[in-house]
Amino acid sequence: MLENFSFRTIVEYLPLFGQGLVTTVWLSALSFVGALVVGIVLCAMNLQRGWLFRAPAKAYIDAVRATPLLAQLYFLYFGLPRVGFVLPELVVGILALSLNSGAYIAEIIRAGILSIPRGQVEASVASGMTYAQRMRLVVLPQAFKVTIPPLLGQAIVLVKDSALLSLISVAELTRAGQLLASDRFMPAEGFLTIAAFYLLLYYGLKGLAVVSSRWLGSAGARA
Amino acid sequence: MTANPKGPANMTQPNPTKTGMIDFRGVNKWFGALNVLKDITLSVKPREVVVVCGPSGSGKSTLIRCINGLETIRDGDLVVDGQRVGDPATNMTQLRTEIGFVFQSFNLYPHKTALENVTLAPIHVRKIPRAEAEHAGRELLAKVGLADKVNAYPAQLSGGQQQRVAIARCLGMRPKIMLFDEPTSALDPEMISEVLDVMVAVAEEGMTMMVVTHEMGFARKVAQRVVFMDAGAIVESGTPDEFFSHPKTDRSRAFLSKILRH
Ligand SMILES: Nc1ncnc2c1ncn2[C@@H]1O[C@H](COP(=O)(O)OP(=O)(O)O)[C@@H](O)[C@H]1O
Ligand SMILES: [Mg+2]
Repeated sequence: MLENFSFRTIVEYLPLFGQGLVTTVWLSALSFVGALVVGIVLCAMNLQRGWLFRAPAKAYIDAVRATPLLAQLYFLYFGLPRVGFVLPELVVGILALSLNSGAYIAEIIRAGILSIPRGQVEASVASGMTYAQRMRLVVLPQAFKVTIPPLLGQAIVLVKDSALLSLISVAELTRAGQLLASDRFMPAEGFLTIAAFYLLLYYGLKGLAVVSSRWLGSAGARA
Repeated sequence: MTANPKGPANMTQPNPTKTGMIDFRGVNKWFGALNVLKDITLSVKPREVVVVCGPSGSGKSTLIRCINGLETIRDGDLVVDGQRVGDPATNMTQLRTEIGFVFQSFNLYPHKTALENVTLAPIHVRKIPRAEAEHAGRELLAKVGLADKVNAYPAQLSGGQQQRVAIARCLGMRPKIMLFDEPTSALDPEMISEVLDVMVAVAEEGMTMMVVTHEMGFARKVAQRVVFMDAGAIVESGTPDEFFSHPKTDRSRAFLSKILRH
């Protein structure tokens, strides 16, 4: 197979891969922002005492974690038009990734908040802080630090998951590989190239994780 | 001061006849089926220092944690600084600003320096201007012997130093009452006295204090009263000398023989 591996075709298709890469990057970025919003809202609901907010949040998180992303994507892609929402594929894709990753992010943030020792919360209660002050001044600044590494891990998962959007014909990176594979019957060239690009994105995010942990490490206490 | 013992009798509070800064009247508390506080009646006067002792699990922590509402009581009355704890009409957040609480495990904020630990609540809860709060914070840290540790993080401090910061953190709120829950129990022996010295100084300035501790030296030096608890009830109460030299009950004698042995 390698003797007829065509680098020329890859070079020829490079602009298409470039466009796919750019699309993957910005739609992943948008989805991640969306997922953060979804995650924060779900986590806030999940931390309430009463079950009125907690039960639906838990049910949602379980449902997302228990079902394949592909099923969720098709559920939105085919389901939304039937209830009257006809949205572009790209929007459906970003929505699906946000709603999916949001469930995982909710749990990451919750773990971060629960990692703050109870004694510190008691100390802030005892000093007369309100719930909001406690969160803002004591809990969240510390929870933020411990959530950065797992959040970047989730970002890496999200980038890889975005490949599924090729199935609803969003012109992202994997779609570019598919086009090369089917137009020229060169699946090896097509998918090897996109693998290389995904690796690039992976190292980019990993580098970010290293830099941020170094920055966070020097920006505060060690405990 | 609203807690003047000879204050006017026509106060708007539900208990106009109060005389104490902290008044337990027939307080009961349960954890599930466990009756952790049994019919507690105890009054602490302004400027009084009361030491609470008793075996582990006897309810000492629970007793003082009820005072600032870290635990809730099931029945009876608990009136602190003229306000009924747990009453919907009582602003607990406001009441807590008048009550400092020192924990066995310090519970400093690890992401804040010593000075920031001391100024956080004064700035955000008391709304004292930052510059003023920092000035007061530096003075307080100097007072507890930590002028050179103003910018240190808790992880860089010894246990004794952390506990002194924790005391300064409470004093920064200018509280009327200070509660201590075994403040020296988590410390290495050589650090106990530096913390007790600070507590003695606070007591000598006239602070109303309830201190859960087995440190007899501290009790003899500054306490007006020692309260002995066992199995959720106050079994005995008296001056430090009465209690330590002439315990009246078998249970207190048994307890004292244990803490005196080491
Ligand atoms: N949050 C809780 N839930 C259930 N039981 C508790 C809780 N806190 C304390 N207890 C129980 O209440 C009793 C009194 O505890 P505590 O007030 O901590 O005693 P002390 O401070 O005298 O050692 C103990 O038997 C303890 O196990
Ligand atoms: Mg205790």
